[in-house]
Amino acid sequence: MATAIDKTVSAPPSPAAVGAHRGFRGNPWRRPWAMEGFTWLYIIWSIVPIGIAVLFSFNKGASQATWQGFSTKWYIGAQVTSVLHNPSLHHAVIQTLILAGLTTLICVPLGVAFAIGIDRWRSRTANGLNFVMIFSFVIPELLLAVALFMLVTQALTFIGLGTDAEVAGLVVWNLSWPAIIVRARLASIGSSYEEAASDLGAPRLSAVGRVLLPMLTPAMLASAVLVFASTIDDFVIVEQLSSTASTQPMSVLIYANVHGGLSGPALNALATIMLVVSLLAAVIGFFAYRWLTRGERTEGTAEALATIAGI
Amino acid sequence: MSGGHVQLESLTKRFDDVTAVDGISLEVQPGEFFSLLGPSGCGKTTTLRMIAGFEPPSAGKILLDGTDVASWAPNRRNVNTVFQNYALFPFLNVEENVAFGMRYQSVPKAQRSSRVAEALELVQLSGYGKRRPNQLSGGQQQRVALARALVLRPAVLLLDEPLGALDAKIRKQLRIELKALQEEVGITFVFVTHDQEEALSMSDRMAVMNEGQIEQIGSPAEVYEDPGTMFVADFLGVSNLMEAEAVGWRDGECTLQVGEFHLRSCCGEVGTRGPVKVVVRPERIQLLEHGASQENSLPGMIQRSVYVGSTLHVFVQLFEGTTIQVWITNTGQADAGTAGTPVSVHLPAEALRVLGAGDEPAPAEREGEAAGTVAAGA
Repeated sequence: MATAIDKTVSAPPSPAAVGAHRGFRGNPWRRPWAMEGFTWLYIIWSIVPIGIAVLFSFNKGASQATWQGFSTKWYIGAQVTSVLHNPSLHHAVIQTLILAGLTTLICVPLGVAFAIGIDRWRSRTANGLNFVMIFSFVIPELLLAVALFMLVTQALTFIGLGTDAEVAGLVVWNLSWPAIIVRARLASIGSSYEEAASDLGAPRLSAVGRVLLPMLTPAMLASAVLVFASTIDDFVIVEQLSSTASTQPMSVLIYANVHGGLSGPALNALATIMLVVSLLAAVIGFFAYRWLTRGERTEGTAEALATIAGI
Repeated sequence: MSGGHVQLESLTKRFDDVTAVDGISLEVQPGEFFSLLGPSGCGKTTTLRMIAGFEPPSAGKILLDGTDVASWAPNRRNVNTVFQNYALFPFLNVEENVAFGMRYQSVPKAQRSSRVAEALELVQLSGYGKRRPNQLSGGQQQRVALARALVLRPAVLLLDEPLGALDAKIRKQLRIELKALQEEVGITFVFVTHDQEEALSMSDRMAVMNEGQIEQIGSPAEVYEDPGTMFVADFLGVSNLMEAEAVGWRDGECTLQVGEFHLRSCCGEVGTRGPVKVVVRPERIQLLEHGASQENSLPGMIQRSVYVGSTLHVFVQLFEGTTIQVWITNTGQADAGTAGTPVSVHLPAEALRVLGAGDEPAPAEREGEAAGTVAAGA
């Protein structure tokens, strides 16, 4: 035993010798070719088709396959077929923004109240409601959409199909975002700030308003961004709950027309608008989150990204 | 603000089946710096939180200047707290943090800013008003937390391990400042700490807590020099514990027998007879050359000595097997001798303290020095 140790100590092999002997697996500092390769493959696979779709929204001709020169006619130029001048297309953009705005405005305050309520209310019922919070992550969206369709057409007929039903459905589907993000934030804030506020003389409601809500602002913003972006992308719920063409948002219109009907680069333009609005929401959210949390020692960029992405 | 008299009567707090605070009673005089000292989990923070109003007591009374406030909400009590993590509001700057509580007192708006400035000056942070808490060091945040509480002129200030999160050096400096500040404002301070040096150096009086109960209340000197129980003796610094037989009593002095040697002791339960436990502080013991014929000495052998800078900690194994610790001031030529050197330890009669036979042995958990200092069990 002792002699074996002595041998290793007295004659350490050079790193090169180790590499040669054990092959590339022996060197933990080697360049991770495989990992890099797969990463690039993934990026290309997911971004290139989107890039092509965006590119053809700027095509001069009416083809979605052959490039015929750059133009913005499908957005604003063409008199009948551009997004701007085709009433059904630009109406879809407006409908999408209305749905996203209304859903965000209703969903975030509801989610914040839900999160604070569950955080404070410790009982078996609260534990049960905790599950409701992750509801939308576990049930298929189509199931919820069909159920809501039945509800508003059979039972709650005073709501009926249309914008009201769409907003209601989107709120139910997206409530988890603010609820979960705000709860996570509540957990990391802890109770000491509120205790400090009440210690300094603040009655309960005042402590919530002056201390808790300002501290929850980043979480509210992050969830607003997520709800807004995910509402813009939503298809299943709005497809079920929209009624006439006037309540069809972009996603439904694109789906309805992509296999025939109205087609051509105008649809690409519509999809590009959808993409850009979502992206803008995320980027604005990211910077606003960083600005709001600048007073705290956190991981900064990484944390902001994670929160905005809803992780 | 005058007042600041705190009285706890049989205060109890139970969490499910754990009793965190077990019927403690104590009284804090107006203007006193009172410490609650004990190991983690002894109930000292829970006691403080009950006084502040964050935890409702399970039983007992909390009298603030004669009024039982046990059922009052925190915002109605004329006490303020300095939290261990400071709990400064990160979205407000220093001034706004300090001014936070004045909205709920009838302080005219015009006076608020001058009160804030005064409070910041008191904690030596004038000129830092526009900074955010995260732009300050830990010690500065600590001062803001103090200013935020003191600006409201509470009757009692509660401090929950306020120095716990700071570097050792800043902690020692703030200790002195905090005590000076308390003397200046004259407000009652109730200070929770697990650091015995902190409690000893700042308090007017202190209560040593263990397992939800108070072991002893007294001035730092009383508690340190005259520990009432094994736990107190052990928790407040290092104590050497020996077993002895109390064999005689004369003129307020007890004669103890350890093996064939006789020792005189003049403090503690000197009237006891039979087997007793004896404690002695390591700094009170003198190390003599082997064979020195001084009274109250026992022979032993150096086991090891540890250099800690200002002192030398020498572990001496006594002839009957017990290991005791002796602290020698570092005078520059301190050299206790190497392991195995036979020595004689002198235990002055006024440093030898006889504990009652009924005392429970100290619990295993304690801060600071390593094992081997308490009775080795011969």
